[in-house]
Amino acid sequence: MTSIELWNHCENPYPFVPAEVLDAADSVRASLPNKYCDPHIAARLYDEIWEEYRLCDDIGLHIVTNEHHSGINNLWAASPVITGIVASLTRKVRILSLGTLVTVRPDPVRVATEYATIDVISKGRLDIGFVKSGATEMVSGNANPMHIREREWEAIDLIDKSLTSHEGPFSWEGKFFTHPHVNVWPRPYQSPRPDFWAATSDLPTCAELGRRGYVNTLLFGGYDRTRKAYDAYKDARAAAGLPKAGEDRFSYMAFCYVGDTDEEAMRIGQKIPWFLTVSIKSSPQFSKFQPGAVAPEMAPAAWRGGASKRPTDMTVASLIAQGQMFCGNPDTVARQIKEFRQRVGGVGRIIMMTRQGLMTHEQAMKSFNLAANDVLPQLRDLPPIDEELRVAR
Amino acid sequence: MKPELEILRRGSGRPILVVHGVNPVSPRAPFLDRLAEHGAVVAPSHPGFGASAMPPDFETIYDLVNLYQDVIDDLPGDDVTMIGLGFGGWIAAEVAVTRPSKLRRLVLADPVGIKIGGREDRDIVHFFNTRPDELTRRAWHDPSRIPEGCYGLGWQSTIDDRMTDAEMVSLARNWDSLCLYSWTPHMYNPRLKPWLRRIDVPTLVLWGESDGIVTPDYGRAYAGLIPGARFETIAQAGHHPELEQPGAFVDRVARLMEAYR
Repeated sequence: MTSIELWNHCENPYPFVPAEVLDAADSVRASLPNKYCDPHIAARLYDEIWEEYRLCDDIGLHIVTNEHHSGINNLWAASPVITGIVASLTRKVRILSLGTLVTVRPDPVRVATEYATIDVISKGRLDIGFVKSGATEMVSGNANPMHIREREWEAIDLIDKSLTSHEGPFSWEGKFFTHPHVNVWPRPYQSPRPDFWAATSDLPTCAELGRRGYVNTLLFGGYDRTRKAYDAYKDARAAAGLPKAGEDRFSYMAFCYVGDTDEEAMRIGQKIPWFLTVSIKSSPQFSKFQPGAVAPEMAPAAWRGGASKRPTDMTVASLIAQGQMFCGNPDTVARQIKEFRQRVGGVGRIIMMTRQGLMTHEQAMKSFNLAANDVLPQLRDLPPIDEELRVAR
Repeated sequence: MKPELEILRRGSGRPILVVHGVNPVSPRAPFLDRLAEHGAVVAPSHPGFGASAMPPDFETIYDLVNLYQDVIDDLPGDDVTMIGLGFGGWIAAEVAVTRPSKLRRLVLADPVGIKIGGREDRDIVHFFNTRPDELTRRAWHDPSRIPEGCYGLGWQSTIDDRMTDAEMVSLARNWDSLCLYSWTPHMYNPRLKPWLRRIDVPTLVLWGESDGIVTPDYGRAYAGLIPGARFETIAQAGHHPELEQPGAFVDRVARLMEAYR
């Protein structure tokens, strides 16, 4: 029997820049002047979201933080700072940092130290997530966008060793990072270390996550891409002779709004695709023409197709149909999640992106309450996945 | 293992080594035939550019500098003229600092590679963080005169239906490789400037008068750091004078070769 966990992921967006400014800007990330970010409004946003996190702690929704820089999409500019605050605000739920951008951080040992500290403060409630990142983050973080996947793996390996070495300093002289004297204090609360997650739909990377046993999370992958990614994970484990992974190794982030009625949820939920229609606008040099953004052989398709065009026709209905959004009354959302689980071959951790765009604090609180009180109970003790049904689709 | 390089060759006589900039020298570049009247033009594609493979252990400008020592060693005779274009000018300056025994003359055309201004002065427009149309505006005196089949900075803004998939794949690969070598510090080596004094061959620093990527003032300062170097500008040319003014460009190179036979 499987029980699905629900996690709340809020990026703390800043949607209060005038539309004419956003329309005229080349990019709403990396280069938008911070004069458009009013610190008084930002302070209110942080307060509101701390309150949402306290609610999550009371009602059993786990919490995800992440990190983006220099743009309207995200005021979590330093995930370890935010995660440390969340650790102190909460008492019960797990906290996932997904994650600080190890591809732009110069010293993974410092990252390990920050995470070990948070794990101790939270008394073992931390999970550590990794994202490759790219595009505007390489610009904001002045990180060479080439070879970032290789750099990310070396950073992960060094963080892993930093968190699990307890017999005094060790030395690391890798391709991307050198540190002759690694000795992290405090050591993490959890043993051997907090669980590792990584966000990716890249199949070779999913396979490597499978061999390592990390949690594989996909962001808005929809049914097909998600199933292929999870299958790559499972196949790699099978090929390596490793035991079958439980559903807790698979996670999925979707837009989500739970209302009293389907009609209310769809109406309020329509605020969430702001994330796609407004907050990812990037200049061509920060997107399709950034070195490493696409493999050279894929360049003709990406460049001719205008990869940086903004989608403008994102309706809740189309997002639901593609498996990218769970939205409706509690029964509807529970049914959508169970359907998703079935079609992708099992998933144990659903991450809800709810407070997005101009969604208000009150609207977000309402959805969280309904998700915890009326959706979550329907996701407990689920029967095993019907493999035949999955293949038939 | 010495990497195999794609090499464009034109003409005969004393070797003229061309070290390319953001993209390899196009076989259609009009300056090639004119230059070949003065010697054997040898224009390799750097590893990761054109048809030259990227060796897995190549990472930095240091690798290119050592590789070009190999290239010079392999040239026939002992009378080599080296021309570095833009990004290739940086490589050529680094190589010349090491005083290769066969090197007789050096031409740097709109080179990058050093830091001249203060810490808040942007000496070199950022190749990767700048809009392609802005790069084009700054890199060319008159973009309408870019020779067919030649691509300099801002090439992204020239993508149209006539560009083939193969050209796009090649340009993407060149762009990736350039980034690997030069992202940060962007397009310069903080340690090169004090060592330019070691260059001991006749040197001509050429600059497109309209270069808005690295300005002629930067070029004057650059030339001033190389003992005995001449600084000359080329009118109606930007960052790629060899493409915008092939005649004037080759005339200046030929004059240097004539003056220091």
